[in-house]
Amino acid sequence: MSITLDSPRAPSPRLPAVRWGLSLACLGALLLAPQVVDNYFLHAMVLSMIFLLPAHGLNLILGYTGMLSLAQGVFFGIGAYASALMGIHFGTGFVINFLFAGLFAALVALPLGIPALRLRATSFVMCTLGLVVIAQAVAKNWVDLTRGDMGLSGVSRPKFGFGDNVFTVVQIPHYFYLILGVAVLATLAFIALVRSPAGRCMVAIRDNETLAESLGIPTWTYKLLVFMLSAAFAGFGGSLYAHYETVVSPLVFQMYYSNTILIIVLGGGLGRMSGAIIGSFLFVAVTEALRITPELRMVLYGVVLLILVFMFPHGMAPLVERLTDFLSRVGLKKPLEHSDAGSVGGPHGR
Amino acid sequence: MFNFIFEQIVNGIITGSQYALIAAGMTMIFGVLRAINFAHGEYYMLGTFAAWYAIERMETSYATAIIIGVVIAALISAVIGRLVMQRLVGAPFQQGVLATLGVSLILQNAVILAFGGGYKVFNGGWIEPVEILGVGMAQQRILLIVVAILVFASLEWMVRKTRMGKSIRAVSQNIECCQVNGIDVESVVRRTFLLGTALAALSGILTAPVNVSVYGGMGEAITLKTFAVIVMGGMGNVRGTLFAGCLLGIVESLVSGLVGLQYRDTVAFVALLAMLMLRPHGLFSQRARF
Repeated sequence: MSITLDSPRAPSPRLPAVRWGLSLACLGALLLAPQVVDNYFLHAMVLSMIFLLPAHGLNLILGYTGMLSLAQGVFFGIGAYASALMGIHFGTGFVINFLFAGLFAALVALPLGIPALRLRATSFVMCTLGLVVIAQAVAKNWVDLTRGDMGLSGVSRPKFGFGDNVFTVVQIPHYFYLILGVAVLATLAFIALVRSPAGRCMVAIRDNETLAESLGIPTWTYKLLVFMLSAAFAGFGGSLYAHYETVVSPLVFQMYYSNTILIIVLGGGLGRMSGAIIGSFLFVAVTEALRITPELRMVLYGVVLLILVFMFPHGMAPLVERLTDFLSRVGLKKPLEHSDAGSVGGPHGR
Repeated sequence: MFNFIFEQIVNGIITGSQYALIAAGMTMIFGVLRAINFAHGEYYMLGTFAAWYAIERMETSYATAIIIGVVIAALISAVIGRLVMQRLVGAPFQQGVLATLGVSLILQNAVILAFGGGYKVFNGGWIEPVEILGVGMAQQRILLIVVAILVFASLEWMVRKTRMGKSIRAVSQNIECCQVNGIDVESVVRRTFLLGTALAALSGILTAPVNVSVYGGMGEAITLKTFAVIVMGGMGNVRGTLFAGCLLGIVESLVSGLVGLQYRDTVAFVALLAMLMLRPHGLFSQRARF
């Protein structure tokens, strides 16, 4: 029995079941999608799932640890370049390139993060924006490695199998299943990470860094680790992008990518597991499917950003939460007033 | 060799006064709002585009184009000041970053949508060379330096003597006290924003004949350079930005002359990072103001 007035309403015992059910229903719908929709819409969905990976990274660093980084696009581009260069110079296959791209992005993030993470608030944002400009300059001017503005073309298609049974992924439905698999794995990894004790430490750093430090959480190490992890997520996404588009050029370091990732996370809902998923489908798949030009899309993103900042600071995820909450209560005869389970967890960390 | 370096330094001072003009606005806006304006370079771009439009499509003279450009940029920033900037008073920093980033996206891409993303040639300005101290310079460059000195002198005067300047200083010191004493903080924020963006637009129009090309994405690089300048000058320190701008300009032109042109734009980033690491309160302030 609750005495305080503002304690949250106890969640219904069926809430986890409803959540899992809805997630599985969405996954099932996605699995059936190639049978129903045409290739152009599949292409839009593939793009949105590629963007889901760096968005998970940004959600981790911004939503759970509270650091606003505009450098996600940089690591996305580094992953794309690393993947393409590995394939071209060493002839390695998709799986190795993919793993290497994520590792390499995390490794690059280490020396960049050590100075950058000494900064806080606006200075950190300015610094990460600076990284974007530097990355553009390097990709354009290090012609020996990156071939400058010409870019790298002919990135190999993903191949699976040995000997005579090699299966090459060329058609969009096959890409769709491959990338859906990767996206689901990444999402599960993200959920596991956020629910682990490390995830709770991140939330502690976001909510009150000084207090977290005083409780013995090594905040500096955690911040650096989160920066590297978010870079790894972005690097994996970049690798998928390189193998899907088969062309990598300095254009991957445009602010366009960082901004798209930012909109996905903010629009979906910061610090919520479902946020990046909702955001990537809403802001990439829908705009791509409506065939909006990149410039118009950026104008729309700008408007959305202003609306989000001033009116919906929590994005779209609360709507989904309200829906699952409603569904979980549908069959119950009377509201559960005597349950004390509600205070655990609180409004954050979902 | 000596002559070459001297020439580079003079060029650097000219580019630097362009940076200083833009950064003065940003540092004043930071002073009153405690928010970095990530869209500042876009007003520079808007002013230049408006002047280009006036010259190309309306066939006005360059002098009229300067006025038209500044007025149009000021009108747009008056609207944005009312809709966006004044709401940022007392808001957490992330809100300021995201809102100004949104404004920057809208402005930049709206211009690209309207006029296309390609480079455009800016026909105008006074580009006849004059010889001063053995260095040949276009009149335009001398004009830029003169305007920068005039603007900074009048900013100094305004901040010390006029009511608006005093209220800007008051707001940048303590917002609550201003509200208690009957200073309309939101209107001060709006006016400071208007002044700052008009200066950025003016700087863009004055440098356009030197840079020749005009394009929609030109504001992005300028925004980053302005960060470096305001951090070097000390956030909120208007006088410091003049020296910091010139310093950045000189180092940039020395690097592009002696090392290579492609490294020019990285100078600003290295300077920004080094300053944030080593002297976050700026080169000229004794202690951190904020």
